[in-house]
Amino acid sequence: MTFDSNAFLIIFTGSLIAISCGFLGVFMMLRKMSMTGDAISHAVLPGIVIGYFVSGSQRSLEVIIGAGLLGILATLMIDWLRKKARVQLDASIGITFTLLFAIGIILINLLAYKVDLDQECVLYGEIAYLPIDSWITKSGLNLGPRITWLAGLNFFFVSGFIYLLFKELTLTSFDENFSSVMGIPSKGVNLALMSIVSYTTVSSFESVGAILVVALLVVPPATAFLWTKSLMPLLKLTAGLGISISVLGYYLAYWIDSSIAGMMVTVAGGLFGISVLIHSKKPSWLRGTSSVKEPFGV
Amino acid sequence: MITQVENPILEIHDLTVSYDQNPVLWNVDLSLPAGNLIGILGPNGAGKSTLIKAIMGLITPTSGYVKVFDKPLNDVRARISYVPQRESVDWNFPASVLDVVMMGTYGKLGLFRRPGKKEKDLALKSLEQVGMNGFVNRQISELSGGQQQRVFIARALAQEADLYLMDEPFAGVDMSTETAIFQLLQEMTAAGKTVIVVHHDIHSAMTFFDWMIMLNLHLVASGPKELVMNEEMLRKTYGGKLNLLTRVTDMIRQKDFNPLKS
Repeated sequence: MTFDSNAFLIIFTGSLIAISCGFLGVFMMLRKMSMTGDAISHAVLPGIVIGYFVSGSQRSLEVIIGAGLLGILATLMIDWLRKKARVQLDASIGITFTLLFAIGIILINLLAYKVDLDQECVLYGEIAYLPIDSWITKSGLNLGPRITWLAGLNFFFVSGFIYLLFKELTLTSFDENFSSVMGIPSKGVNLALMSIVSYTTVSSFESVGAILVVALLVVPPATAFLWTKSLMPLLKLTAGLGISISVLGYYLAYWIDSSIAGMMVTVAGGLFGISVLIHSKKPSWLRGTSSVKEPFGV
Repeated sequence: MITQVENPILEIHDLTVSYDQNPVLWNVDLSLPAGNLIGILGPNGAGKSTLIKAIMGLITPTSGYVKVFDKPLNDVRARISYVPQRESVDWNFPASVLDVVMMGTYGKLGLFRRPGKKEKDLALKSLEQVGMNGFVNRQISELSGGQQQRVFIARALAQEADLYLMDEPFAGVDMSTETAIFQLLQEMTAAGKTVIVVHHDIHSAMTFFDWMIMLNLHLVASGPKELVMNEEMLRKTYGGKLNLLTRVTDMIRQKDFNPLKS
């Protein structure tokens, strides 16, 4: 079997995106905010349109900044609706992201003559075109696929963020009040997490699209959480699942000649389904340690 | 019956807290001495949890202010510790007992720094103090309610604070554990720390606390146990639940009353 560099690039990029999303997804899940990730991925649309309109390019820094700001706005809006207007969390998520997404669609239509962008290109990405979209410098040097660089940069940021703020993220996810009392800025940590989720969403748009990126945020962490109850193994297993999803998704899509991103998420769903089935049977080695009672002595 | 003190460790001035325009605490004005085991008593809905949340700045008061160690709260956060109600977190969180207790050391570590050997030893010592050293690597989802409560107390101990605020730390904790932890709290106050506990059981409150705060939306009493624990104050705090009150006041009259013997 010969080495297929296109296949390798697609799987490599897919893994980078799946791992970045999975790492963030673990903390979103532990904060019971998985659906906030969904909301953010849709709410960034007006930011992308405005960024595009300002810069005139789909690949500019303005687009990423615009999307990031809208992601934070969505988070703040959900929080405000829930705490101040006393709307239930699910309802406030539903209100926020549909509203922002609708504004995005109106903006696209209003600016249609200036902006070469449509909803389709945000909602559905296409990772298969990745090898033909190269990053070529002004001097004509070909540095390889642009999306792989984007995914790599994103992976670097996400890993760095989680590495540096690991204890703050863990503590604020587990017990927000306790961290506030100790003086750890839980709101700041939360906003930082939401910004990096927005950034990840935007940088994954072109490859997997806004809808499937949500699956990568939610499904691998949820699957891994069925198998382990400690944080480090949970992160590792999520990363492992991200890689398996990319590999299996690519070859299955290649085999039946279909969408790679679609197949990746189908595989993720399949792995989750299998995990649930195995767990509902509850083999004895999965029931955890037995509780040993010990008398209390001080 | 409100006793004010000189050089208070905690000073609450004219504090009013409201939820949605409905005040749940009115004009609380008190000062507390250092090195005491202080109990907050009151019926359900009296604003006990609200009071300690307002002290820690988790709730913004409508009016009034709180000073801790004679400084604004934000300057002294590292010296304050908190034991929240057990139900306030999701115990399915993927962490071991040791992980949770280590969280107590995070405040002093500061941003970006990771806990090391020193923090781990501190966490293990704290677990030993609450008698949970046999459960160091247990997943927190596999603990009973009382054990979860003890983990939270250990986490607060690991913080090595000077002022501890505990919101019903004995809910679901058995009698012998409660006594053991009360003794631990007494040792801490003897060492100069101040511990404020929201508590429900008047019997054990009489045995262990040095100072009592009685609350029923208004501040009814704040002072040394001997001055505050009487029929009049209890009646003001708990209203007309006389059956219970006469029994309690009878017990107060028996000088050598010990709830653990009966």
